Amino acid sequence: MFDKLITESMGKSPWLFHINAGSCNGCDIELVAVLTPRYDAERLGFKLAGSPRQADIVVVTGPITKQSLPRVLRAISQVPEPRCIVTMGSCPQSGNVFRGSYSVCGPLSKYVHVDVDVAGCTPKPEAVIEGLATATKILMEKRKNRKGGQE
Amino acid sequence: MSIIIDGLKYLAYILIFPGFLFCFLSGLLLCGIDRKLVARMQKRVGPPILQPFYDFFKLLGKETIVPVTANRTVFLIAPLVGLAAQVVLQLFIPVFSFNAFHGVADVIVILYLLLIPALSVILGAASSGSPYSGVGLSREMVTILAVELPLVLVLLSVAKVVGNAMGTGLCFSLTDIVNYQLTHGSLITKLSMIPAAAAMLLIIPGETGSHPFDAAEAETEICEGMLAEYSGKPLAVYKLSHAVKLLTMTTLFVALFLGGIGGGIERAMMTSAIGGAFCFLIEILILFLLCVCLVAVCISFVHAVTARLRIEQLFKYYWTVVTGLALISLVMAWYGL
Amino acid sequence: MSIQHFPICAIMAYFLGAFLIVIFGNNRALRNIIGFLATATPLCLLIGLVKPIMLGTDVIAYWMGNRVPAGGYAIGIALEVDAMGLFFGLLIATAVFVAMLYSFSYMSHDDNEPQYYTLFLMLCGGVMGFVLSGDLFNMFIMIEILTFAAVALTAFRNTANGALEAAFKYLVVGCIGSSCILAGTIMLYAQAHTLNFAQLAAFLPGKLNTATVVAYALLFIGFCTKAFIVPFHPLAADAHGAAPAPVSVLISGVLTKSGLYGIIRLTYILFRVMNLGTVQFWLVFLGSVSMFVCVTMALAQHDFKRLLAFHSISQIGYVLTAAGLATALGISSGLYHAMNHTLFKGLLFLCAGAVLHETGTTDLGKLGGLSRKMPHTTVLFLIGAFSISGVPPFNGFASKWMIYQATYQKAVESGNIGFLMATIVALVTSTLTLASFVKVTQSVFFGQLPKEYENVKEVSFGMRLAMGILALLCILTGLFPGFVTTYLTEPAARAVFGANQYINAMMGSGYAQGFGLADILPVSFEAAGIWSPISWLCLLMIMLLAVAIVAVSSKYDQVSALAKTAAAAEAAEAKAGPRYGSGALAEGKYELFFGGEESVYSQVGGDDLFWGFKHNWRHYFSFMHELHSGIVNDYALWAVIALALAMLYAMIIL
Repeated sequence: MFDKLITESMGKSPWLFHINAGSCNGCDIELVAVLTPRYDAERLGFKLAGSPRQADIVVVTGPITKQSLPRVLRAISQVPEPRCIVTMGSCPQSGNVFRGSYSVCGPLSKYVHVDVDVAGCTPKPEAVIEGLATATKILMEKRKNRKGGQE
Repeated sequence: MSIIIDGLKYLAYILIFPGFLFCFLSGLLLCGIDRKLVARMQKRVGPPILQPFYDFFKLLGKETIVPVTANRTVFLIAPLVGLAAQVVLQLFIPVFSFNAFHGVADVIVILYLLLIPALSVILGAASSGSPYSGVGLSREMVTILAVELPLVLVLLSVAKVVGNAMGTGLCFSLTDIVNYQLTHGSLITKLSMIPAAAAMLLIIPGETGSHPFDAAEAETEICEGMLAEYSGKPLAVYKLSHAVKLLTMTTLFVALFLGGIGGGIERAMMTSAIGGAFCFLIEILILFLLCVCLVAVCISFVHAVTARLRIEQLFKYYWTVVTGLALISLVMAWYGL
Repeated sequence: MSIQHFPICAIMAYFLGAFLIVIFGNNRALRNIIGFLATATPLCLLIGLVKPIMLGTDVIAYWMGNRVPAGGYAIGIALEVDAMGLFFGLLIATAVFVAMLYSFSYMSHDDNEPQYYTLFLMLCGGVMGFVLSGDLFNMFIMIEILTFAAVALTAFRNTANGALEAAFKYLVVGCIGSSCILAGTIMLYAQAHTLNFAQLAAFLPGKLNTATVVAYALLFIGFCTKAFIVPFHPLAADAHGAAPAPVSVLISGVLTKSGLYGIIRLTYILFRVMNLGTVQFWLVFLGSVSMFVCVTMALAQHDFKRLLAFHSISQIGYVLTAAGLATALGISSGLYHAMNHTLFKGLLFLCAGAVLHETGTTDLGKLGGLSRKMPHTTVLFLIGAFSISGVPPFNGFASKWMIYQATYQKAVESGNIGFLMATIVALVTSTLTLASFVKVTQSVFFGQLPKEYENVKEVSFGMRLAMGILALLCILTGLFPGFVTTYLTEPAARAVFGANQYINAMMGSGYAQGFGLADILPVSFEAAGIWSPISWLCLLMIMLLAVAIVAVSSKYDQVSALAKTAAAAEAAEAKAGPRYGSGALAEGKYELFFGGEESVYSQVGGDDLFWGFKHNWRHYFSFMHELHSGIVNDYALWAVIALALAMLYAMIIL
């Protein structure tokens, strides 16, 4: 029962850690807009965490520039399990208009397993919330599966 | 036989009320109400009131990462000590007429016991070796320094007023302070105590580290400061002890300034045993409602309307405005007003 | 050997040890044995005196060569041990014993070890002789012995930076103090024609004239220099910064106590002026100023030992404040704090010594992260730091708590708001102390470990044992305040108020009454508050247990299991898909979070940790910075000014 409580809670309090991997700032602003009174993602328990140690969902924006790649991976690795990785905007998925640039080494999925992609340039807040909600479900799944794999 | 009953009674005090279970439930609930209130004041829907519970249980299920640079023992034990000290502190604060453990600690001891949870966070943060934690603990310590002076003055003036009235000159026992209020009405109705109560209202957000006095855990600039390296269970324990701190500070305010409210119930309690138990529950309920009101006034409202202060502004604010208020109170109490 | 001879044997043991070490000192084992015996014997002897003096309120008067007073005049040299003298004697013997244990391994790498032990034992003998003496001139001699031994020990590591300078400053200002004591002694002798303490104490009260008042001021300032009360505090900082750690223990735990002892003896017993509000104000004011000035000076330090030195004086300020209250509770709490000060300050200095021993530096800016290399020292340091900052349930809290009660009670009783200010200053100082120890903890033991200290090891068992003894005493005296007050501080406080008994024990019964001296003040040790450390600790333990059970027993987190499966998943991922390098995600997981950067050494600590506080006090700090020029001429000038002010004030009030 206690385990179920934890799993349930996992779905109700996902904390976000936001990594900007060379984004144009459009997605960053939209992510913050999701937390404003109009969309208020906090009603779903979302909260911006200051440190990756406390996060459950990592939101990556930007086309993963060469400079940022090791930092991104390092920060992601510091997020405790179970964790979920969400890319936001087209950049981390395809490189968007930056594709082919010498300094861009995306997409992110080349390096880590990405759980949710939220496409768009920039994605609408509704889409972001939808994506985050999906990530939350995956988080719960991960928690359950880890447990199942254990036994 | 009576020893066993006494033992069970004290165990119940420690584990259920006003100990662990009560702290756990009402602390987190207060925290949730605070978040909801802030959201409503900002025209948001806000998280569910049970959100802190979800956060707590979620953190219990997360992986606990201990950084390689950390002193493992201190890093993991510090949160537990902090929580334990916080709950013990709650045991010493009387709930109107009910006082689980009297004769153990007076107000000066309580002043120091308030330091222990903060100190344990500081030590835990220091042991992680993170520079963000270093900055955070520096700010936390300055916050403690800032809050301590007005808090001392408030407690001394309360001690003086009650002592004057009781004819002993000074009274440090929290039980006596509350008992005095039960018979003579709340202290906040005294002219000399109004500035002290105002100062105490300003001290509560500083002690609990909420807006605008949260320079120590500024999540946007120094990555949660002292908690930067904490994850999983220790973080859950910290969040819990922070929530209990909200409860402790507000019940302390109730005990110091609003203790008289339980007076009527007190007399009703005398009449019958069943009525007594019922009244006791009502007392707890009233206490909780008062705590909620206090949180609404001095934490949620202030949080919703202010921005974060820089640490040296915070210090200056406490050592001028708040200390001034408390000092007025002390001087008035000294001359018997 | 009858109990009468215990005090003289205690003093002689030290001096005998000193001389024996000069003769046999080149053999290491023999030297250590002599040193051990010379410090253990007095401790045992004084513990033997506890029963008759502390519990039975005896006063031991010992006349050398059995030259007892004749015709109401004391001719011979006397030792007199009352409860207060014994109390200080016990403190000294304990501190000295522990410092000796520590020295065995700490000093083993130094040259000239025999000389070190000789000086060490001379210093101990001097202090012990000072507190057990019943004769003003003997006190002066002992002060000279201990001052010169202390000066020599300060400069013992004369190759160290600033050691000679510190010793020179100490010598100059210390000699001003000693001269004051000598001058005061002479003036009293001219007036009263006796040097015996008891006889003087019978003559002087009520017969004050200009000469005796000036003598009072001279003696007072002389004892202040020994206790390093403001304005003599810069000396202590320099001396502690340069001296080896066990010597710091002696200077802070033992030498300052002798100054305090002198002040209490002088004001309460010799002149009996503590019933005057003006004298109370004098002591409380000096104490409060010392408390506050030194704690703020400590906050500005960036050297471990200098910081401790300033704290040492700050704590002495507490004792002086409490002693200045002239209430039984005040004296009792002050003595309690004096005892605690010896214990926790000794412990802290030994910890600083351990750090210096292993790393070769005490600069807070250079150290860091030692807790993983020196775990035992860290724990011991934390006990000391908690004690000095007054965190319950350690001993500093118990005594500070009594001091707050005592000052506030005094304020209420006398209606004087000045004593209330002393309470507030004491409470704020306590928090500032905590702040500066947080700084030390962060800068030395926690935080990041610099590369050059990767190979640092824990100190040897002997050093840890010495620190352990003090730490244990810190905890015990904190947990059983009732025991300490009943058996140690309250008898001593009664002795402070029982000057007549002191006089009669030496000069024959009825002597004091012959001078029309009444016993001074009513003695009541009641405190307004309540503090019961044992029950508090029980509660904390139960609570900790409950929390720990909840935290540990639930097997729902499966930290390690999760980590394993995560690693397995990552390995699978690595096989399946293209990867950035090998195991990109695994590396860096357990390192510090630096915004994603590689973690570099970036210690937060050193001297400017609390800039938020210091910024608001910047004018004060820059003023203090200018004031403490480090020039010995200035400090000598301060001493002279202090003396002039003391004389002026004494003339006005007495």
